[in-house]
Amino acid sequence: MHETYGLLEYMPSVFRALGLTIWLSWLSLIIGAVGGLVLALMRTSGWRVLSVPALLYVEIFRSIPILIILFFFFYGAPLVLGINVSAFAAATAALSAHASALMTEVIRAGIESVGRGQWEAAQSSGMTYGQVMRHVVGPQSMQVILPPSVNIYIMILKESSIASIIGYVELTATGLLIREAHGGGFAILGIIAILYFIVCYAISLAGGALERRMKIAGSGLHMDGTR
Amino acid sequence: MNSFSFSLRAIVPYLGELQTAVLVTLAMSLATIGLSLAIGLVFAVLRQSRSAPLRWFATAYVEFFRNTPLLVILYFAYFMMPVIGLRMSPFQSGLVGMTLHFGAYMTEILRAGLIAVPHGQYEAGHSQGMTNFQILRHIVLPQVIRTIYAPLGNQLITIILGSSLTSAIAVNDIAAWMQTTGSDTFRYFETFLIAAIVYAVLCQVINLTRIYIGRALFPDNR
Amino acid sequence: MTQAPVLKIDTLTKKFGSRTIIDGISMDVTPGEIVCLVGPSGTGKSTLLRCVNGLEDIQGGRIVFEDEPVRAHSKKIIDVRKRVGMIFQQFNLYPHLTARQNIVLAQVVVHGVDRRSATERADELLARVRLAHRADAYPARLSGGEQQRVAIARALATNPHMLMFDEPTSALDPETVGEVLAVMREIAEERRTMLVVTHEMRFAAEVGTRMVFMDQGKIVEEGVPRELLAQPRTERAQRFLQSIRH
Repeated sequence: MHETYGLLEYMPSVFRALGLTIWLSWLSLIIGAVGGLVLALMRTSGWRVLSVPALLYVEIFRSIPILIILFFFFYGAPLVLGINVSAFAAATAALSAHASALMTEVIRAGIESVGRGQWEAAQSSGMTYGQVMRHVVGPQSMQVILPPSVNIYIMILKESSIASIIGYVELTATGLLIREAHGGGFAILGIIAILYFIVCYAISLAGGALERRMKIAGSGLHMDGTR
Repeated sequence: MNSFSFSLRAIVPYLGELQTAVLVTLAMSLATIGLSLAIGLVFAVLRQSRSAPLRWFATAYVEFFRNTPLLVILYFAYFMMPVIGLRMSPFQSGLVGMTLHFGAYMTEILRAGLIAVPHGQYEAGHSQGMTNFQILRHIVLPQVIRTIYAPLGNQLITIILGSSLTSAIAVNDIAAWMQTTGSDTFRYFETFLIAAIVYAVLCQVINLTRIYIGRALFPDNR
Repeated sequence: MTQAPVLKIDTLTKKFGSRTIIDGISMDVTPGEIVCLVGPSGTGKSTLLRCVNGLEDIQGGRIVFEDEPVRAHSKKIIDVRKRVGMIFQQFNLYPHLTARQNIVLAQVVVHGVDRRSATERADELLARVRLAHRADAYPARLSGGEQQRVAIARALATNPHMLMFDEPTSALDPETVGEVLAVMREIAEERRTMLVVTHEMRFAAEVGTRMVFMDQGKIVEEGVPRELLAQPRTERAQRFLQSIRH
């Protein structure tokens, strides 16, 4: 009882740290989404020069632990490039790299879910590749892209806890610091876990609601008979 | 300023330890998949249970561990054991954390496999005079194994990659080898590269083995 | 003809919640009889078969198969099921087993037949349903008609004392209905005891020894199939027969 009471005074810093965790993961998701879009366009371009490197990127970042990517950016890159990399920058880079690999597959599936008929109709009306993507294929593929993106965000948010290993003081690291300052125990880590749970679970509930709404709004979307 | 040159020579003396580290990673991953399968089977059955409290309990377990970081669960298990009076090696408490975390994912995989077996299959078995156990053994489980085979393979890869986090609680796996060797030799880039290759090779070998065995086991599949 | 009945059903009542599906039905089936259950859908014909096989528990009355009371969750139910073959509307073949393995499984695990004789029996039955060439095919590769013929062979494999068909042709494409009915005719010629739920009136007229017309959970009328079809006595049977002729 007494132990849990004593932990209360740390709560402001815990919530500040939670803010950093959300900021770090959100930033990584945005960068990852942009990277994933570029890679997905390369993957679906039909040109091997573009699609093969994109495929390699995805395969590599899906079969290496995120921890190694993180260490590479934090310890390896400064040695190779001779620049200083902050823990925040290294964590953002590693999480973005992983997120972009995951987003590539999701966006690719979204683009491929739009039937050929849509391409043919749009191109026959004189649209360029960019216009077809922006006005026809893009909006339609969102229904397929958004729901798994929510899961990727949750995954990145959980993964951002590894930033604590290189000394970036986000939520997990804050928990470990409080534990030490507080003389051991494990209650604070339980609290940290519950905080992660509340945030992630809320996001997944919101994602589920979004998915249901899009299904209703999107019914009748594929009118070319492909799906 | 930038005096980086690529050299693997400094790493050579550490390769013997790498071998042990690979075995630790494999042991941790295989033990996790075995234990989380067992836990997953129990919770998958509980999620179908007729008793609402049991169903609720199983759902709470799955949702909690799917929505918390593995690293936090590992720290939690690691720091909790001594407090509650259990003397465990880092490997053992790492295994506890891994099993709790991946057991939640395994529950969902197994549940999907169980749901995929249509009701008519149970009825056909019953109508032929089979016992519940015979139906489970000869009809349901073979079909569940088919459905979960591919997701299970992906899960094994996720588990291998995830096991690298146990290095944070002093398990001497490949990721831990990479950290100590990197800081000993100051050859970070080279050690990371080697570790990355080892993980990638492990994952690809498992992936190819899965596909190869899958073709041999289920030649009729789709 | 005064043999003891294989199956005795006495004032059977089956409810789903508050809905009464079977409302006090009594009927007997004697050896060698081919009883066709007909009537509008949703009147409890299939449920009746499922009760006889102990797939549903019952709320009233008694079912006795060869001196064995049928109760859904009793241990003894297996003894009944061993002696009754069931053919389902949706075939319910085991998708992970080939046609031959589907026929072998229960012989081996339920009846303790050794695998070699079980396999021989399977091949013999597959030949009889004219599917010897499909023995190694998995159900997914078989047409609906082929699957149902395998299901019939599977039910025959253990020499059941009675066969129950639950709308065996309702899930089939029209062009494969004939091949299944042909196999059923051949089995009927062996004077096996059969209880058939069907909408195939011609089959019922030609093959059935008795027709039982059911509506809203009750037996409305029964008799020799040709007579019942030609001159139904009750208005409900007349209306039903009218509706399916058009």
